[in-house]
Formats: sequence, C-alpha cells, structure tokens
Amino acid sequence: MSKILLGVHSHYSLMRGTAGVQAICRQASTLGYTHIALTDRNNLYGLWPFLNACKSEKIRPIIGAEITDQKNGIRAFCLVKNSSGYSTLCQLLSTRHLDKNFNLKAVLPEYSRGLCIMTDNSALLELWHDQGLEVIAALACKPDKKSFQLRELAKKRGIMSVVVADSYFLRPAGHKLHQLLRAIDTNTTFSRLAPSECVSRDHWLTAPADFAKRFTIWPEAINNASHIARQCTFDGPDFGLVLPPYKNISTLEANQELKEKAFQGARSRYGDKLEQKVVSRLEHELKVIGDMGFSTYFLVVHDIVRPVSRTCGRGSGAASLVAYCLRITNVCPVKHKLYFARFLNPGRQDAPDIDIDFAWDERDAIIKMVLEKYGEHAAMVCNHVCLKPRMAIRETAKVFGLPDDEIGRVSKRLPWFRSGPDKNNLLDTLKKMPELRDVDFDKPWPEIIQLSERLAGTPRYLSVHPGGVVITPEPIANYVPIERAKKGVPIIQWEKDATEEAGLVKIDLLGNRSLGVIRDAISQLQANGHLLDENKWEPEDDKSTQIEVAAGNTMGCFYIESPAMRLLQKKARQGDFEHLVIHSSIIRPAANEFIREYVRRLRGGAWQALHQELDGVLDDTFGIMVYQEDVSRVAVKFGFSDVDADRLRKIMSKKDKWKKLADYKEQFFAGARAKKVEQETTEKIWQMMMSFDGYSFCKPHSASYAKVSFQAAFLKTHYPAEFMAAVISNQGGFYSTFAYVSETKRLGVRVLAPDVNKSSIAWHGKDRCLRVGLMAVKHLSSQTMTNIVARQQEKPFVSLQDFLGRVKPDEEEARSLVHGGALDSLIAQSKPRQVSNRAQMLYQLANWQKRKHLPYKNELFANQAVMPDFPPESLLARLRNEYRSLGFLCTHHPISLFHKERERSHGIAAKDITHYVGKQISFLGWLITAKIVGTKSGEAMEFLTFEDETGQVECTLFPKIYRRHCHLLHRRGPLLLKGIVEDDFGALTLTVERARAVQRV
Amino acid sequence: MERSIIHLNIADFGVAVERLEDNSLKGRPLILAPPNVRGLVYDMSEEAYREGVRKGMPIKRARRLCRAATLLSPRPERYLLAMDTVIKTARHYTPLVERSSGDGHLFLDVTGTHRLFGPAPDIGWRIRKSIRHDLGFEPIWSVAPSKLVAKVASRLVKPVGEYIVSAGEEQDFLSPLPLSILPGLNRSDLLRLREFNLRSIMQTASLSMQQLSIICGSKSYFLYQAVRGIDPSPILPPANKRDSILFHHHFAGDTNDDQTVRAALSGLVEQAGHNLREQGLGTCRLVVELEYSDTFRLARHAASKTALHDNMNLNRLAITALYRGWRRRIRLRRISLSCHRLVRPARQLSLFSQTNQHQQKQEKLCAALDQIQHKFGANRVKRGIQLIN
Repeated sequence: MSKILLGVHSHYSLMRGTAGVQAICRQASTLGYTHIALTDRNNLYGLWPFLNACKSEKIRPIIGAEITDQKNGIRAFCLVKNSSGYSTLCQLLSTRHLDKNFNLKAVLPEYSRGLCIMTDNSALLELWHDQGLEVIAALACKPDKKSFQLRELAKKRGIMSVVVADSYFLRPAGHKLHQLLRAIDTNTTFSRLAPSECVSRDHWLTAPADFAKRFTIWPEAINNASHIARQCTFDGPDFGLVLPPYKNISTLEANQELKEKAFQGARSRYGDKLEQKVVSRLEHELKVIGDMGFSTYFLVVHDIVRPVSRTCGRGSGAASLVAYCLRITNVCPVKHKLYFARFLNPGRQDAPDIDIDFAWDERDAIIKMVLEKYGEHAAMVCNHVCLKPRMAIRETAKVFGLPDDEIGRVSKRLPWFRSGPDKNNLLDTLKKMPELRDVDFDKPWPEIIQLSERLAGTPRYLSVHPGGVVITPEPIANYVPIERAKKGVPIIQWEKDATEEAGLVKIDLLGNRSLGVIRDAISQLQANGHLLDENKWEPEDDKSTQIEVAAGNTMGCFYIESPAMRLLQKKARQGDFEHLVIHSSIIRPAANEFIREYVRRLRGGAWQALHQELDGVLDDTFGIMVYQEDVSRVAVKFGFSDVDADRLRKIMSKKDKWKKLADYKEQFFAGARAKKVEQETTEKIWQMMMSFDGYSFCKPHSASYAKVSFQAAFLKTHYPAEFMAAVISNQGGFYSTFAYVSETKRLGVRVLAPDVNKSSIAWHGKDRCLRVGLMAVKHLSSQTMTNIVARQQEKPFVSLQDFLGRVKPDEEEARSLVHGGALDSLIAQSKPRQVSNRAQMLYQLANWQKRKHLPYKNELFANQAVMPDFPPESLLARLRNEYRSLGFLCTHHPISLFHKERERSHGIAAKDITHYVGKQISFLGWLITAKIVGTKSGEAMEFLTFEDETGQVECTLFPKIYRRHCHLLHRRGPLLLKGIVEDDFGALTLTVERARAVQRV
Repeated sequence: MERSIIHLNIADFGVAVERLEDNSLKGRPLILAPPNVRGLVYDMSEEAYREGVRKGMPIKRARRLCRAATLLSPRPERYLLAMDTVIKTARHYTPLVERSSGDGHLFLDVTGTHRLFGPAPDIGWRIRKSIRHDLGFEPIWSVAPSKLVAKVASRLVKPVGEYIVSAGEEQDFLSPLPLSILPGLNRSDLLRLREFNLRSIMQTASLSMQQLSIICGSKSYFLYQAVRGIDPSPILPPANKRDSILFHHHFAGDTNDDQTVRAALSGLVEQAGHNLREQGLGTCRLVVELEYSDTFRLARHAASKTALHDNMNLNRLAITALYRGWRRRIRLRRISLSCHRLVRPARQLSLFSQTNQHQQKQEKLCAALDQIQHKFGANRVKRGIQLIN
C-alpha cells in the first residue's frame, strides 16, 4: 500500500526548513513512505537535487511548491499533475516573485491548469470552490482547532480533505535549529523570537504510523492522499537540449549563415588565400556543428562577441577553428595543435561549452545588452548562497548576543576548513588550531559551535552567477521559475549544475581584469606614440618576452603572477608558448607532488610511462596528466567508454562528487584488473587522476589563457611603465598596490608622487616614469577626482588657494591630498625655493575651511592670520603620513627606514640571497602575500612572500614554526626572519626557523 | 588674589584600599575585576600595569598578560566610603574640596588660609602626614595656582612625591613638557596638533589665539590658556541634595534572555520601591540604563503623570522604559534603574471614596513586604519571575 508524504519543506524554504533534500528523501524512504511531495516556499530551487535523491532512495517524487501571499501570509500548496502543470507552476512562481502586488487569492485561479491545489485557509477554500476550482482542504500537521474548522467546512461543501505533514525538520530536535534560522532571519534572539515567526515543535517528519495515530479521528483524510498521488504522475521535466534561438531562422539557413561567417572570418584571420588544411578543417567542423544542430548557438555567441573589442574565449571551445574565425576565441587551433574532437564529438550529445571573458568593466554592459535583446527569453543563472562555516558561526553567535569584536576574534582567524567530512567535532578542531590559541571557548561558545556546525551548508539567499546567461526559444518562465536579483537582473531559480542537468545551455560571459589591463596599456602606449599592430601581434614569438617569462619575472601578468607560478617558471626555465600552456594547467591546488615530478623530468630526470597501456598518451607532458582531458584519455585506456570517461572528467570539478566517484573508482580498478595492471600501479594512476580535484583546465582553455599571459608579458617587457600603470589602475590583481609599486621600481621605472596638476584619475605610464593616479589617494571621492581633472584641464592650479577655491574638496579629502604629496607642487610654484612644509598647507587648508563657514565672504574682512612658524617636519613623520594616505611610498621602501635594525641583526639584502645557498641568514622583510596550505596530515603551514628594497624572498613556514609564529603574521610592519636558504632546481626559498616583529622606528 | 590649589592623588585607589585591608596584597600584582568570566578590568596595581594590564581590558586577556596577579572583585561602595574619610581629613583645612573625576583624586582650594594653617605647602605636608598616619595611604600631592597646573604637577611626579609650582612660574614649568601631559586633551586633539608638528607645550604656546583657532576650532581657547597655565575654573564641592535614587544590577554572566533581564529589573524595582516608601516619596520618571557586553550604553525613560511608589506600577513603568531602549541583540552586562522627579507626599488622597480596590491591595502588599524586609532583611520574599533559572 502506498504511503504518501505531502507538504515537506527542505532547507530551500529559505531560513525556515533545516534539512537538505537528500537527507529528507532518505528519512522518508526509511520511514516507509512510497511518495514524497516536496513543497518549498515559493520556489523550485531544489527540484533537481530532489529528483536525484528520489531516484537514489527509490521513492516516487511529486513536484510542487507552497505559494504564499506576502501581504497576509495565507498559502496554498500546488502539486504538479502533468507537464503542462509544470509550466503553469513555473509561471505562477515567476509571477509570485516578479509582481510586487501579487495577490494569491486573485491570481491563483488563472494558474490552475494541470495543478492540484490545496490550502489550509478556509476563506481561500470557500472562494476558490465557489469559482469552480478543484481545490482540496489541507489539514496541516495535526488535528487542531484550525484544521477542525477547515474539515467541517470541506465536509459541508463536499470538498476532499487531506493530511499534509507541513514539516520543516527531520526530527523533533530540529526545532531548535529552526528557531535559530528564524532568529537569524528576523534579526532577533531566541527569547524574543515572536511565536508567529516559527512553527511549533510538531512540524517534524514523522512516520506514517504516527500520522495515522494523530489523525485516528479522520482516517479518510489520510487515505485521500493516495488520490492525489494517482493524479500527480509527473516525475520531472524533460526538455532535451535547450539551445538559444537565432532570428527564428531554420536549421538549414543557420548552417548556411554560419558557413558564410566562418569563411569570412577565416579570410580576415589568415589573409585572402586560405591554406588547404584550414579550409578542410573548417568544413569538417562546420559539418559536425551542423549535424549536431549547434549552428544557432555559434551564431548567437558570435552576435554577442562581435561588438566587443577584446575577449578571451575559454573552455574547450578554444579548440574550434570556427570559434577562432568568428573571433570568439583568440588562439589559432591549427598553429597550436588543438584538436576539435575534444570539443565536439558526434558520439556525445553534450552541450557545447564556450565561455567568454570580457574586460571586467565592460561585462555588465554586455550582459545588459543581451538581456535586453532577448527579453523574456533570457535570464541569468543564479548561485545558491549557503551559510559557510565562518558565517554560520558569526550569525549564530549574534543570536546568542555576543559582541562583534568577540565574534571576530574567533571567526576572522579561522584560516580555512578542511574539505570533506571531519571525524572530530568542530569545537575540538577549533580548540586545537594554533591561530585560536589565545581564544577561550567558554560558555556559550560550545553551544554556538555545535549549532553552527549543523547550520553550515544551509542556503540563505540567491545571488547572480557571475556570468551564466540562459537564452531559450520559448519564454524562459515556461522552463523554470524566474525571479529578480537584488541588482535587478532576472535570474532563474537553479544554479549552474541544475541548469545543465535540466538541459538548458548557458553561455558564460565572465569578467577578466587582465583584458582591461591589456586594453589600457595598449591605448596608453599608443597615446605615447608607440605603434602596435594588434592584427599581426604574436607576443608568444618575441624572444625577450620569452626570456622574462622563463625567469618568472611576471608579476602583474595574467595568470602567471602568483608566487607558485613564478617559482615553477624559475625551476622550469622555459619561456615558450607550449610550456606555458602546460604550466598554466599543472598549477592546481592538489597537484603539488606532480609539479615537482614534472620539473624533475623536464630538467632531464629519467621517467617511464605509468604503464605500457599509457605509452604515447602523455608523452607531451612527460607522462604526467596535466589537462582535464588527460583524465578521460587515461580512463579510456582502462576500459571506459568515451561517454563514461567524459563523465568522470566532469565529475572531478563538481562539489558533491564522492559518492559517484566511488562507483567510477570501482569501474576503473576493475578495468585495470582486466588489463592485468598491478594494484599498486592502478592506485598510483588513480591518485594522479584525483589531483584534478577542485578546478582544472583543459588544453584549449590553458592555451587561451597562455595567449593573454603572453600579451601581458610582452607589454611588461617592452613598456613597463605603461603596463604597470594599467595593472595598478585596473586593481584586483593578485598583489597589493604596494607590491606592484615595489615591482615597478625594481623594473627601473621612476614612481612620481601624485600631483593635482599632472595626475589623472588612473595611473599613467610614460618613458619609464609612472605617475601615481588620484585613485591611489585614500578618502578621495570619485566625484572630487573627476572634478580635479576637469578643473585642471581648464587651467593649471597655481596655488593652494586656487585649488581649494576651484575644487572645493571636503576636509578629509584635502588632508589626504596634502599627506599624499599631491599638492606639493603648488607650494613649490608660489615659493620656489621653499621646501614644502605640509603643516603650512594644512594650516592654509584649515583657514580656508574656517572661512568657508563664515557668513560674509567679503575679502576685505577676511584678513588672514599670519602663517605661524611651525616646527620642522621629520622625514619619518612625513613618510608615515604619506603611507597612510597612499598605502605605499613613492621614493622609499619602508624597509629602508629600519636599516639600523637590519644592520644590528646582520640581515642580508634580498638580491644577495644567491650567495647564501644552504646557509643560515637573517632577512628583514615586508610581507607581500601569504598562502596557507594544509599538509597531508592536515596541519597548517604557510608560504609567504617577503620583500625589501632590492627584491623578493619566497619563504616557507613548516607546521611547527607556523604554529609558533602565526600570530605575528597578521600584524603590519617588517618581520625579522631567520632561516636557511634552500635551492630547488635553481629557485631559492627561505625555510624560516624563527621570526620576530621589529620595534617601530 | 593668587589662588593656592592643592591636588591630592592616591594612585590606584581601589588597589590601595584593598591593600589596606589585606596586608598580604602589598608589593604583588593585583587586578580588580568582577568575578564573571566575561568581565572587564576595573582597576589594577602598578605591578600589573607594568605587565601590560589596562583598565577596561577583558579579564581573560589581563590574566594571560599577568598570570601572577591576584584577582579581586571590585567593591565600589567600599572605595566610596574610604574616599569619604579622606575628604573628611581634607575638610579640616578648607570647605572647598572637590572630588575630581575617578577615585583617589581631590582638589583643595586653600586660598586665604595662610593665617590659620600656614603656607599651602605646609598644608600639603600635613595632609599627607595625617592621611598616611590615620588611613595608611601614600598620596602624591602638588600645589599650584590652578587646578590644571596642579594636576600636571602631580602627573609629573607620579607614582610618589610632591611638587610645588608658585604663582608666576606656571609657564616656565609647563614649557618643556609634552602636550600629552595636559589634562583635557584627548587622543584626536593630540593627533591633530601633531599634524602641525606641534608636540611640546612650548611650541604650541608660540601660536597666537587666532592661529590656534584655525587649527583647533572650539578647543583653541582652552588650549591657548592651558599652555600658559591659565585655568580659572573654581573648586566645586559636591552638592548635598539628593534628587534621584539609583540601583544597579550586574548580570552574573552577560545575558540577552528576556526573562532573566525582566527578573533583574523587577528586583531593582523592589529595591527602589522600598527605598521610596521608606522616605515617603513617589517618583514620576523612571530611567532604565542598559550596558551591553561591548560597553555600549543606552538609557531610556518612561514617565507617569501621578507619583508612583508601589511595586506593581513601578514595574509596569520600568518595563516600558526597558523595551524602549532594548533593541540590540548583544548581551547585557548591567542594568540600572533610577527614579527621578521625586515628589512628596507620595500620595494624594482621593476626594471621593471610590478608591481603586486593586490599588489598595497593592499598597497593603507593599506595606507587608516592607515590614518583612525590616524584620528579616532584604530579598526574603521574591516575585515568581526572580525564581526562574
């Protein structure tokens, strides 16, 4: 006999439900239910996880949602009977979210086709019944006064009544968590949480027998559920692959149009006379694309890209010559041997995957344009933003009423959470962390940690996926409910994995800082009179660029500027395109030991293939798996079908992969046994495949990136001032402005202080000089910056008075300009031989500020006080103020102010480190960047980059030393490091043994 | 006429009092802080100060900095009493005694007492001797023509000694000193002056009033006078009249639990009610002040047209005031209740005989409670809400 569970809320009933979909389905199945209706509050967020969970728990899904009226809180449960009911529900949910004056009572009857409607509100029941709707009375949770009245009414009118669980948590103990969620959501505490804000203790997912007992008085209300189950047979939408439409033209026409455009593009890429290999490859690709029905997709993407100056195609799409000719991607797949078959393969019915990067500051406009063009046929993919452990602790502690700084002491210092399930409980783990050594976890912390541990992973709200756009032939609300994100764009209710599962093809339009950097650098050097023909620009073939790339001198260059990447470059000593493609891909979080092995082999170390089956497969990369597709290539050799191998590759980058992965592992080991491969070797190969955990690149993607890296490296090599200006102005690089300024100085470029007469808003490079932009001056509003530049264009500022009078900055802005040195030139102008004394400027400023507020502006009476003779300014105080205002120093490196300390402790300069390999040294360094990693045993250690005025030193703090010194690393100012210089294939690092802070000067 | 002001300072007053009562505490680091785990340091001895312990620091942190320290719960009432005896000693010499901010600071105006007690420094010596002899404290003292200079002088000699600045010497005395020693300048004032490279009193004294007004705005007049040692402010003996009644409750552990807070408030209401009825007073305005864990404070009042003195009505009014102010989620550390607009007689008899029966009952109940308290002491009978937890 069927047992039907209706009205279940998962944690997708945001900040109300506590349990995940998977856990609910498992529990329901354990309790003996045969059908389950998930009805989350106003959404289908969890549809795909729900369908999957039902499949794996072997329980029949009923799709539905609870729709509420935000004005009076009345609600109805809508269950989907058939596929037309599904699109009705999507439209209804979209209306609920998009219409500010949504009125459930009035709107629902319009959207009832194919839906089974239940309500626990007598007024709604009566009204809708009067209107001839087939409506059912929902007796929620238990027989109480409300459900009694509802049932009486239903009986009188001959309406069916049915029992609805209306559950929000799995077990009675979940009630506390439910209250916590409500308290977080309504910004209150447990004791002051209004009873109307949460449900009572009974709303847990109880067993069929319990329900039968609860409702002994109305047995028919239990049995009626099977009537609903018989009606609602719809078990999930099946759209097939949903591709974007192009101008409503037929497939044949689309194929023809794509062909014309591709050949036209080819001629602009390669010249009018096309080589035979280009032509034949183009034709082959066009045939495959046409056969698979993807022509419209390419045309749509081409349409989006066409008006934009600078893009970088990513993903496997870069292997397509058609994409290259349409200027969707920028790496020539013929020249760099990228194989089309890895992108599209007639054997697989996968969505094509073309992601495109745009300059970060142009992207929003492009997305806006796309959304406008396609109207109700387009929306963005969303992210389900979940409570991360850190945020969960923070929010829980707030409900408990702890003050911010106390919460911060714990939450800010949680360096990272180990991935995967942790055996120990969180409190013990936290207590053992060296970073939290001086925190006491006394009451109420244990309770906070325990609750927040259960809270972590609960979705909290939807945000916009950074670039995923879905375009559909029918209005998108027929496929999936849409709502409006905070910033106004329409978003669908599914995140990217669910979107893909549903078959909706998304186009990723992403932002990329470095495209902005390259654009700005080129426009600046063109303004400075240098010529660069971008159509013939092949930066990867430039010898001097290759030398710099091989030496790892690539700070500021896209994707190859991190310390780890630069160290790899130094060890590998290769600066050509092919190697850079390998290196960009092998740098992965989980691949450290393979990177070492790669370098050893690259530098001439002996090696052999992992197994003779793999001979020749990985020869390009010395027998090491580097690219995503290597995983599938190896899997195929061990008996995987193409499809399975590809799935395996895809699963590696997913989050909840462990269960599926276990199946594949078994399959892989079985395949290996069949080929008589030793267990040990199989284990080794599997381990290498597992290093693709997290993110990884395919080769075309890596090549696309390497192209941009080379463009950046070329500009840096030949036009350092212009390039660094663009890097700093575009912000958001791997390093701080401070670090880029130091690098600029090391490149032999002079850094000139900001100057209200010479600076523009952005930084400006010319002739090996870098002028600091106004954007570097703290507290300066963008309005004032624009104002300064506009007034400066009219005529130069001649004195401080003139500046203040014309720009009218507020006090904080003006002070920041004074301390940053941006006004020094005005003093020098009016009194040529006088050394600028900033106290005097501040005095003039204060005087101006004061007179501004006087009622009379008559200059006659505004006789100024005589300028006092202020005591002279110390260099140190001046630099300190400059640092406060700019965040760096133009002429000095702050470390040089500590030179006495360095002499006292016999510290060496960074550039001299090469003389001390294997020896112990002292080094006084300024922290530039740090990265905490976990060792195999789960201990924390840290890689840090320090610098002084002569260069950088990469430092390693092993776990024991890290535990002892981690508290020092949060503070500013230089650290005195003692340790041993180690040489690893020519890259020098300092293994720190001791560190201490240096007294202020 | 030249004024003679004596500034008397008993350093770390709370610590000094505790050490008087328990000799074994002498010479060892001592921290005064409430016993609950989340409390803040109230005061500490010189030894603890040198280890880095500061007022207002969380106890846990203080303990970590100075593990050897003895921890005692502060007893502000006790220190107040001790201060009263010190004042009594000072009153022998002048009626003009001002209790300055913080414990352990006194200003005496001994202008014109020459005939009676000799020159001001003699008075200083004598007071110090008698305080040392009778009470056991070791005060620092200084004599100067103004409160400001006197205070600077004792800051200069801290932690032991005395300093005398005669009339006319003020500016010479102040000139070489850093600005930071001047009372009345806060951190942001000092930072502002430092922007103009002004660090010493002498440098600042070279600026004209007009110039200073450009730099420091509203504070310039004070600063102009202060760097010249001019401070005309009089000695203000404390007023005697009591116009309000005040009670505090410190929570044992900070809390944001509704019931716990209401229970504490009702305890305060009972104390206040008893106190009012003892004096035959009624109150028209209650102020509830809340102090949160993060030291944020907020006060809200509630007023009544008629004077109240029975527990039930007082409680109702107090709860109104409480919820007017209690909006944050952060835990409360302390709650205090004060009664203002005290009115006598507390009760106006009704012209007609239809007095509210309920009201009469309440008054009888309060009278009974007061009797019990007289006989058996406070807190023998409690309201139900106070028994929860």
